[in-house]
Amino acid sequence: MLKERFRMAGAALACALAGVLALGGCSLLGDDSGGSPESGGGAPRSSASPQDIPYDVTPLIKPAKKYYGAAVPGAPISMKNIDVYTARTGKQPNLIEYYAAWGDGFDATGVRNAWAEGALTLMSWEPFDTSLADIAAGRSDAYLKEYATAVRRLNLPVVMDFADEFNGHWEKWGTHHATPAQYVAAWRHIHQTFVDVGATNVIWAWAPNIVNPVKNVRLQPYYPGDAYVDWIGLVGYFTIGQDNAFDSVFGPTRDEIRTFTKKPMLLLETAAMPGERRRADVRNLFAGVAADDDMLGFIWFDYKKRADWRLEASPLALTEFKRLAADDRFGFDVRKPS
Amino acid sequence: MTSRPEYYTPQPYDPYAEEEQQGGWFNSDGYLPRRPQGHEVRQDYDAPQGYQQVPQGYHQVPQGYDTPQDHGVAQGHPVPQGYDTPQGYHQVPQEYDTPQDYGIAQGHPVPQGYDIPEGYGYDPGAHAYQQPDGQPAYPGQTAEEEPAAPAEPGYHVPETPEVGWDMAASRRRAWVSRAVLLCVLAVQAVLSLRLANTAFQDEALYLAAGHAELQHLLHGTPLPIDYAAYFSGSPQLYPVLAAAVDDVLGLTGARLLSLAFMLGTTGLLYSFTRRLFNERAALAGAALFAVVQSTVVMGYFATYDAAAVFLLALATWIVVRTDRAPVAAVLLAVPVAVLAVGVKYAAGLYLPTIVVLALLTGWPHQGRKAVLRMLLLALGIGAVLGAGMYGTDLMDGVRQTTTNRDHGSDSTALLLQRSGEWGGLMFLTAVGGAVSYVRRSRMNESPAAQRLGNPGWRWRALLGLVLCGTALLAPAYQIHLGTVVSLFKHVGFGLLFAAPMAGVGVTRLIGAHFRYPQLGIMLWTATLCLGISQADWRFGVWPDSSKMIQVVDSHVDREGHYLASTPEVPVYYLRDKTTHRQWQGVFALEYTDKKGTYHQGDEAYRAALRDGEFDLIVLDGLTNPRVDAVVVDAVKGNPHYRLLADLPFRNSSGTGHYRIWTKTS
Repeated sequence: MLKERFRMAGAALACALAGVLALGGCSLLGDDSGGSPESGGGAPRSSASPQDIPYDVTPLIKPAKKYYGAAVPGAPISMKNIDVYTARTGKQPNLIEYYAAWGDGFDATGVRNAWAEGALTLMSWEPFDTSLADIAAGRSDAYLKEYATAVRRLNLPVVMDFADEFNGHWEKWGTHHATPAQYVAAWRHIHQTFVDVGATNVIWAWAPNIVNPVKNVRLQPYYPGDAYVDWIGLVGYFTIGQDNAFDSVFGPTRDEIRTFTKKPMLLLETAAMPGERRRADVRNLFAGVAADDDMLGFIWFDYKKRADWRLEASPLALTEFKRLAADDRFGFDVRKPS
Repeated sequence: MTSRPEYYTPQPYDPYAEEEQQGGWFNSDGYLPRRPQGHEVRQDYDAPQGYQQVPQGYHQVPQGYDTPQDHGVAQGHPVPQGYDTPQGYHQVPQEYDTPQDYGIAQGHPVPQGYDIPEGYGYDPGAHAYQQPDGQPAYPGQTAEEEPAAPAEPGYHVPETPEVGWDMAASRRRAWVSRAVLLCVLAVQAVLSLRLANTAFQDEALYLAAGHAELQHLLHGTPLPIDYAAYFSGSPQLYPVLAAAVDDVLGLTGARLLSLAFMLGTTGLLYSFTRRLFNERAALAGAALFAVVQSTVVMGYFATYDAAAVFLLALATWIVVRTDRAPVAAVLLAVPVAVLAVGVKYAAGLYLPTIVVLALLTGWPHQGRKAVLRMLLLALGIGAVLGAGMYGTDLMDGVRQTTTNRDHGSDSTALLLQRSGEWGGLMFLTAVGGAVSYVRRSRMNESPAAQRLGNPGWRWRALLGLVLCGTALLAPAYQIHLGTVVSLFKHVGFGLLFAAPMAGVGVTRLIGAHFRYPQLGIMLWTATLCLGISQADWRFGVWPDSSKMIQVVDSHVDREGHYLASTPEVPVYYLRDKTTHRQWQGVFALEYTDKKGTYHQGDEAYRAALRDGEFDLIVLDGLTNPRVDAVVVDAVKGNPHYRLLADLPFRNSSGTGHYRIWTKTS
């Protein structure tokens, strides 16, 4: 009996030992067959939460309604001025523009703030200290990749325009400082870097100044191509001394651009000079944007800079603006575009 | 149960007569090496040279040594060849030793000097074994009393059975055996169920085809594609069944159907192995088969492999079960075997084995009539298969996918290596079992087994050859084709046939009376570990497509034309929104551009993308990396397309991305 018990115990011990040995071998085998150690034993588990899915920006590229945008100081990192603007105009802007210098970090918080209130953020990226040629040559790649990765990680839609008003001589990246080829190369390089890191949540807005003040600069050589651009963003203002018909301000530029691309347009930066005519300018602006199906909307530049573009500067125009903004075609919650 | 005899009464039979030439693990008989009994032998035995020549660590029962008959032989030899005293068994020779020590000689009821060695079960059959030649067989005939005239004893020795247990099947044994089988099946089910991933492209294809066939059968909806022309099994059989299950229970349901098939296969394997050999071999064979990669994966893989292997097992089971039945009964296997081939054409590769089994299993019971049995089965299968091919249009599919399959570029070395990794251990066990079985047929410790009419060595060799050889068919054919595709599944088909022999191998490894259970446990655990790690690896080969499907879902409609690395997957998951016809794969494209120029191959992809032909492009970078590169290059700077999503995934070989482009203009 005693021996039998010993025998049983021996057998049990042998079982346990064999198990331990075999399990030890098991992990080795797992590592062997799995390529990387982490992937050794684990089959992928199917659990795709919405956060894991890259945000699909395509419904925002050509939405049914118009963007009702604003550029106000401090926004979107602080939404206080936006709230003031909303109170003043009677409608919450759904596209908020801010300006960032090449070399700045990505303001994910601002984008989130705007998003929380149903607004898309448009970042105007301005290379003050780095030449377009250097960017194209990849000299800022470390920064660019880090930036693109941060944008991807945020996984909310962002509109980006790079080196806007490039056809103007007044910018540091303008016609006096860079060639169209350098501009296109820099743009494509930036775009490709974003694509490479998988930052598909960016809407790319190519933003020339309206051609009226720089009639001798052709736009086509500056165009990176439809593969690299989602929106055409026009920068143009209603200014005293110029005809204020919508077509007079934006028509020549629009017509020239339509010769080489059919991408939808946005008035990426617009406003009217303060004064008696502003009310009419505002009316023309709303009418012109509403009339053109390819016109996505506009962003009112509500700054006091060189001129006082703020709506509050002209109460009559503000009243008119508020009346026209009430039109249901303007503004929508970007979180629910359709 | 009979009561244990009061006196130890060694019997004159020799239960292991066939073992005289045995050696090695596979022939371990579960007994300690016995020491020759004669004094002369002992002197030889003690010759130190004989021991020192035995390599260290060689603890096996030696060749040439064993039975009492050997004693005589041993006397002729100066040193028993290879006889080894295993380390740790040194006490054995001292404990039961010479005839003088043997308690019976003194007429003691219980032999005092006799001791049961460690790990040595008390076993009358075994003890009889140590009875030296010339040793008195009965207590009354002790050495001292021998000269005296036999006096009537004052007591009566009852008639004792030669063995204390019954080797015949009993209800208890059947239930114990079934309980163990249930454990084996539970382990198999757990191993299969722990696998998880979205549908593999083959699963997606068969299920999608099944849905289309189902719609065609029920509502007359035209088929989007002529599945029969390129499927490697009939699209009207398994795919329809799986799609019907999928309709109700989804992909998990379809996979559970496969699990049921594989559990059924293991059950049938147990049953026919039990019939061929015994429960122990059947359980061991089933336990090994249940944990190899192919079984575990096929048991949670909605392709027709599980159904086909089940039908093959069923056909084999019928053939084995009808071994004693009238010859015509073997015809019951015909429809099953033909159905197996219909479900998966490659199953035909295993029909010759089943036909030969009809002969081999019938032979011991029916003699020459077994030949008739074989012929009947072969003719039956041939006739029904011929009629089936004549009556359907499946021949094209058979040619394209099975017989004239495109030759791949995978090397023989790779295929051999993979076959070895995926089935080598079990195959070697089967070969070991077959060799051991040829050398010794006895499958039961009971001395009564000795008197059973065991089949001759030729029969045993043929059975071993057929069963083990079948396991080599698929690897050999795939080496001929030069492709590793589906090899892991086909290895499993072969292992089904090798499993009975592997079961024999394990029982021989463990030895009689469970002498070396640790060896069996180690072998099984090694197979289990290999099975688990390989199955996990296998199920992680393809990327989890759930995110991809989620992204693509809102970009497809009934009109679009889509390009995908694995079109079957979105076709299956998005079957409510798109049809197979709308999806294009990355292996072949013919395209006529807007100017009417015809393109094919890579150029067709370039031209189609230049024209913006596809509304959506989904690449995984795995399925056909070369064409993926062509497509990526054609999409770069292409005004029609915008990158919609980049979805990283982790699979068995590391990481990768799904890249999805959408047409924007």
